Formats: sequence, structure tokens, C-alpha cells
Amino acid sequence: MLAIRGLRKSFGGRTVLDGFDLSVEPGEFVALLGPNGSGKSTVLRCVVGLETPDGGEVEVGGNAAMVFQKIHLVGRRNALDNVCSGALGRLPLHRSFFFPQDVREEAMGCLERVGLVDRALDRCARLSGGQQQRVAIARALCQRANVILADEPVSALDPQAAVQVMELLKALAGDGMAVVAVLHQPELARTYADRVVEMKATVAA
Amino acid sequence: MSVTASPKLAVPRRRWPAPVVWVVVAVFLVVHVLAWQATEFSPAALIAGWEGMADFLAESLPPDFSVLGKSLEAAVITLYIGLLGTTFSIPFALALALLASRATTSAAWAQQAARAVLSFLRSVPDVVFALIFVTAVGLGPFAGVLALVFHNTGVMGKLWAEAMDESDRGPRDAVKVTGASGPQIALHAVLPTVMPSLAGLLLYRLDVNVRSSLVLGLAGAGGIGFLINQSIKLFRFDEMVTHILVVLLLVVVVDQASGFVRKRLGA
Ligand SMILES: Nc1ncnc2c1ncn2[C@@H]1O[C@H](COP(=O)(O)OP(=O)(O)OP(=O)(O)O)[C@@H](O)[C@H]1O
Ligand SMILES: [Mg+2]
Repeated sequence: MLAIRGLRKSFGGRTVLDGFDLSVEPGEFVALLGPNGSGKSTVLRCVVGLETPDGGEVEVGGNAAMVFQKIHLVGRRNALDNVCSGALGRLPLHRSFFFPQDVREEAMGCLERVGLVDRALDRCARLSGGQQQRVAIARALCQRANVILADEPVSALDPQAAVQVMELLKALAGDGMAVVAVLHQPELARTYADRVVEMKATVAA
Repeated sequence: MSVTASPKLAVPRRRWPAPVVWVVVAVFLVVHVLAWQATEFSPAALIAGWEGMADFLAESLPPDFSVLGKSLEAAVITLYIGLLGTTFSIPFALALALLASRATTSAAWAQQAARAVLSFLRSVPDVVFALIFVTAVGLGPFAGVLALVFHNTGVMGKLWAEAMDESDRGPRDAVKVTGASGPQIALHAVLPTVMPSLAGLLLYRLDVNVRSSLVLGLAGAGGIGFLINQSIKLFRFDEMVTHILVVLLLVVVVDQASGFVRKRLGA
């Protein structure tokens, strides 16, 4: 479902990734661990195209979505609109000024999956951190992703909300998605992930 | 108990300003002397001519309130010129701001082109635009509206583009990952985020434009500025004072109203 081979990336002469490999099967939940600056975020950003790799191959069997530590919803819009924006990639411009009814219906389904139907019309800025992160996951679902890349999805959340989000990611892997989550808590990784991948700090730091 | 530096520590010597500072000060003084001469700046002339001003004041009081109705009507025209000048520039300012901001446009040539157009429109004063449009549509409020639309597009477009530049990169990236195109990112990440700032800047410009339309009136674009001009030409200073009081009222009302709404927007 996701195959990364020999990924290389450097920023201004500093090598961050030097031949990174990872492959994830459908239904598999992989936790990515490693010290600050070891290039975990860079791997994920290369996969979704927010960074251009210097070399190597990235193969995604379908559609990759990303979830961020800082969540990155549009705080002034309601949860439903934020989830609908996941569908933009398949909407032509002239249909994306106002989200069409079928997209809104699909988005409601995604909100139901993350347990937030009743908050659909609340502004995201008014939701708690944990709820916001679940809206962001619903946005990934509305993107019809089969690969979810989560960059420290629970680092800003309290333990209870963190467990809720981890359970949700685990359940999505159970539905057959490939899930990669960057984590800083080894216990969470051991509890929820099928496999733990350690990244080493680049030597020439 | 007192603290003294141990004898071994050398106290840094006080430094005199560098020679370049003296040169800058000298140039500054010379330019001011030249400017003083060129503008015929003369406190003596002001003191000698105080009688003229006293006559003027004597003639202007008491104000002639019989023109109040005419004055208020003209003030409404002035307000309308400022209003249309602001609202009709919205589509142009928005299009150019979207092209000029690096949050919404990635093509460098498009950004540069939009910025060039904006700075041209901004650097031509509205009065100059008004004089140009008068040759096309004649003296009157319409020329004033056109002038404001052009100048305000330049100013407001730049302010809006800056607001977009400063918008949070995160939501933009998040929407980009969903496969959204540039215009879709602008529509669903940038604009919803910056809307309160854009609205605040719009109200600020409305405020400025109403005041500008007054000056355009002096240049022949109608409204209350035109009445003030006429009163001066006819030496009816008592009428002029009435007009000026109405202008004061207009400016305060618009300023307060726009300030109130801006505060509610939190912008
Ligand atoms: N756009 C960029 N420009 C320059 N350097 C960058 C850029 N993005 C990342 N880096 C550098 O690449 C290195 C790896 O960054 P990355 O964010 O991938 O690490 P990380 O493993 O996610 O760390 P953390 O645990 O702190 O999130 C860091 O040294 C960082 O400074
Ligand atoms: Mg990181």
C-alpha cells in the first residue's frame, strides 16, 4: 500500500534522510519513533508532496492523507466545512465554491465515523484539541485516503484524548488502511502499533 | 559597600559617533535650509498677515445656517462617492491581491505582474485620476467615483495581499495535501482565515475614501467639497463654516461607525 525506497533529502547541504526505506501493508499500523531532528516529519512530508525528495522512490497505492500535530484546521469554519475540504482534490473548481450536497453527506458520514456528528456545525476553534484532531482525521477520510500519515497526532493532547485518537487510528487500520504515526511515547507505540520503526539521528548533525 | 571594578579590568572607552553620523546630520541640515527657502517658509509673513485672517474669521461668524439643507444633501453625495469608490474596487482589489500574494499564487511572474499593477495604481494620487477622468466624463461625482476605484484598488489590494501573506501556512498545507488546486486553496484555506482582516481593512479604506472624496469635491467632483470651493470663490465665508461643520459631522460619524464595526470584527 505504501512503499518508500532509498529516500534521500537534504536541506542546504545538511543530509536529513540518506536512503530511508519503509513499506506498509494495508491494515498495518506502523509507529515511527526517533529523536528530534531525525527526519520523521520530512519522511511524511515527502510522501504527501509537501517536500520534494532529492532521490528515492515513493509509491502510494491510492490516496495518502496527512494529520498534523498542530491539526491545521481552519478554525473559523465549522467542522463539516473542514471535513468537506478533504474532497477538494476530486471536485472541479466550479463545483468547489459551495460544497455540493453529496460531498456534505459523505462528510457527515466521516464525522460519524470519528464520533462527532453532533458537533458538525460548531466552529473548529471552539472544539477541544482532541475533538479537533478527530475532525482532521475525518477530513482525511473524506479525502478517501487509504494511507494515513499522522505526524505526532497526539503530542498536543491530554492522555485521555490521546487514547481516543490512537484507538481511532487503530480502528482505521483495522478497516484496511495503512497507517503510519510519528510518536514520541514508546508506550503508546507498543500498545497500538503492529510494528515500531526507529529512526536514528543523522550522524552529521 | 560599593562595587568597584578590579584594577585589571579595562573600562571600555566612550565612543564618539562615527564620521558618517556627522555627514548624515550635515546633509540633513542643508536639505532643511534648502526646503525652508524653496517653500518661502516665513513666520514673519504669518504674523504680518494676521489681520487678513481676523477679517476672514469676522466675516465667517456667525455661520449662515440657511444653507444647511443644501450642505447636508451635498454631504450625502460625498458619502456616496466614498462608498461606491470603495465597494466597486472590491472585485479588482480581491483579484489582484489573490494574484499578488505568495499564499495564493506560486507563479513568480504572476505575483510580480500583479504587484506592479498595484503599486502603479497606488502611486497615482486619486486627485490625479480624477483630473484624468474629468476629461472623459466631465466634472461631477462620477469622475470622483472612478478616481477612487482606481486608487483604492491599488491601496486595498496591497493591504489585502499582505494580510494573505501573513495567514497561517498550516491550513494551506493541510488543504494542499487533499489534492486541492491553487484557487481551491485560496477559497477554502486562505480566504476563510483572513476574512475578518480583509473586512477590517475595507472599513478602514471606506473611512479614508470618504475623506478623500471631500478633496475630490474641491477639485470639481461634486459633493460638499464643491460647495466649500464655491463659497470661497464667492467670499461667502459664513456659508463655508456651515459646510465645514457638516464635514466635521460626516467624518466623525463615518469614523465612529467604521471603528465600531472593526472592533466587533476583532480586526
Ligand atoms: N524546510 C526546511 N528547511 C531547512 N531545514 C529543514 C526543513 N525541514 C526540516 N529541516 C531540518 O531537517 C531536520 C529533520 O527535520 P524533521 O522535522 O523531519 O525532524 P523530526 O524527526 O520530525 O523532528 P521532531 O521530532 O522535532 O519533529 C531538522 O534538522 C530540520 O531542521
Ligand atoms: Mg517532526
